[in-house]
Amino acid sequence: MTERRDVAIVGGVTGLWGVRDATWAELAQEIGAALYRAVPPLAAEGVDSLFVGAAEPERFAFQSHVAPFAAEQMGIYPTRVVQRTELACASGQSAIRSAYAAIASGLSDVAVAVGVEKMNLPSMAEANAAMACVMDRAWDGVHGATAPPFFAMVAQRHMLEYGTTADALAAVSEKNHRFANANPTAQFHAKTFDRAKLMRMPLISPPLRLGDCSSMTDGAAAVVLAAAPRVRAFTDTPAWVRGTGQSADFHNLANAGSLTDWVGLRRASTEAFRSAGIGPGDLDFAEVHDCFTISEIIEYEALGLCGRGEGGRYVLDGRSGPDGDLVVNPRGGLLGCGHPLGATGVAQAVEVFEQFAGRTPAARRVPDPTWALVHNLSGSANVHSVMVYGTVN
Amino acid sequence: MAERARRKRPAVTVAAPPEVRPEPVAPPPTRSTTPYLLDFLPLEDGSQTKLARFYASLREGRFTTTRCRHDGALLWPPRLACPRCHGDDLEWTDLPTSGTVYAFSAVLAGAPLGMETDVPFVVGLVDLTGAPLRLFGRIVGRPWERCTVGMPVRVEPFDVPDGRVFYRFRASD
Repeated sequence: MTERRDVAIVGGVTGLWGVRDATWAELAQEIGAALYRAVPPLAAEGVDSLFVGAAEPERFAFQSHVAPFAAEQMGIYPTRVVQRTELACASGQSAIRSAYAAIASGLSDVAVAVGVEKMNLPSMAEANAAMACVMDRAWDGVHGATAPPFFAMVAQRHMLEYGTTADALAAVSEKNHRFANANPTAQFHAKTFDRAKLMRMPLISPPLRLGDCSSMTDGAAAVVLAAAPRVRAFTDTPAWVRGTGQSADFHNLANAGSLTDWVGLRRASTEAFRSAGIGPGDLDFAEVHDCFTISEIIEYEALGLCGRGEGGRYVLDGRSGPDGDLVVNPRGGLLGCGHPLGATGVAQAVEVFEQFAGRTPAARRVPDPTWALVHNLSGSANVHSVMVYGTVN
Repeated sequence: MAERARRKRPAVTVAAPPEVRPEPVAPPPTRSTTPYLLDFLPLEDGSQTKLARFYASLREGRFTTTRCRHDGALLWPPRLACPRCHGDDLEWTDLPTSGTVYAFSAVLAGAPLGMETDVPFVVGLVDLTGAPLRLFGRIVGRPWERCTVGMPVRVEPFDVPDGRVFYRFRASD
C-alpha cells in the first residue's frame, strides 16, 4: 500500500448551538471568525483546502454549491481542494475523513473541515419533509418515515428482544444532559433533565418521548487538520487520526435486516480499531451518535463495550457515566448539545481535541486521555462512520 | 436593400397557420398540485419512470415487484437492475397481500409537510406472508395504542385525490 502521511487535528471550535437568530451564511461567518480566534497560527500558516459538511442546505437554506459559499463566508480561499461532503447526519465526520484522506495522500497540507446546518425554519413541516427525504423518499419517506418513528421501532424491538426499559432510555438522556450542563455551547446548557422529568415528557413516536430524541438545531463547528510536519506550528497537543472505518449496508428499510444488531457499526469499528492497533478496552472516552437514546444503547453493544442486549443495563449501572468504565459523550451528546446534522461530527472532533489538550471544563473532563473514538451513524443507521484518535502518532 | 429585406421577411419568418391548432391539454392525471420537490409520492407515468407497471398493476389491485431471472432474487423496491448479480434481466411478479407487523410506531408530532393532518398516524415494518420481504408502510384501521407486534395486516391500494394510486397496510379484522 502507498505510504500515508500522518495527520492530526490541530485546533477547532464549536459555535453557539440552538434555535439561532442567524442564517446558514451567518453561521458560517461566525464559525470562521471563531476558528481564526481559537487557532491563532492559522492566519500565518494558511489553509489550502476546505471541506464543508452540510446535509441539506438545499432544503433548509435553499442554497447549493455551499463549499465555495462557505469558503467566502469564512474568508478561506482554497488552492488545493474545495468540496462539500454530504452524508446526512454524518456529513461532518465525512468532511473530516475527506480532509484526512487529502492530507494523508499529499494533496493537502493544511485543511479546514467545517460543519454548518440551519434546521429551524418558519415552517417546521418543511424541515420535517427534509428529514423524511433522507430515507428512500418514494418508498419509505412517502409513508412518513422520519427518524423518530424509525428509531422508535428499533427501541420497540430492543425492548421486546432484550427487556430494555424506558428507564434505561431515560438514563442515557439524563447522563448526556448532565454533561451538556458543563458545555456552554450546548443547546440544552443549564437545563435540568432528571430521569423522572424525562419520563413524563410527551411521546413523539412511542416508545420514544421528547427527551429520547435529539433536536432540530442550528449550529456550526470547525477543525483544522494538518500534515505531520506542519502540526507543531499549531499545537503541542494534537489529536492524531489513528484509525477509521466506514460501512454502508442498505438504504431502503426493507433491506435493514435486524433492527437491533448493527452489523455495520461492528464492521466499521472493527476496521477503525484494527487500523489504530487498539481495542475498545483501550479507549479513554467515546463520542457516539446518540441521535436517540436507543442509539447509544445499541452502540455500546456494537462497539464491544458490552454484550448483545446488555446496553440498557450498561447505562443503568453507570458504566458509561463520569465514573464508569468508559466515559461516553462527555460533550453532552446529540441529546444535550442538539444535532445540527453537518456540524455534529465536527463538534465531536473538537471535543476530542479539547479533551486531549485538557481544556474542557472540569465537570466533563476526562483525566489524562490517550485514546478516543468518534462515531456517527446516518439515515436509518444504514451507514456507520468511525474514527479513532490518539495523543501520539 | 432595406426595401428588399422588408419584402422578403414574410416569406422567411411567417409559417402558414397550422390546419388544426392543438387543444389546450389537461394536466395528465399523474401530475400533483404540490410543487414537485415537496411531493413525496412518486411520478407514476411511463414518461417519467420505467416502473410505471407497478402503479398500473396497483390500480388493478395487484401488489407486485421485480424478481431477477438470473439469480432469482426477489427485490424491493421494484428495480431495473439486480444489486446481487448486477444483471438487468428482471421480471414482474405478484406479492402476497397479507402480512404481520414486525415493528411499529406512530407519528404523534413532527410530521412532514403534507402529512400534518394525518397525525396521529401509525407506521410499521410488515413481514409479508410467504415472501422473504419486510416492507415499511403506513398502517391504517387501528389506533396506535391498540396495535401490536405480530398483528395481521393486508396490503390496500388506494386512490390519491390527484389521480395517482398508492398502497398502505390495513389492520385486518
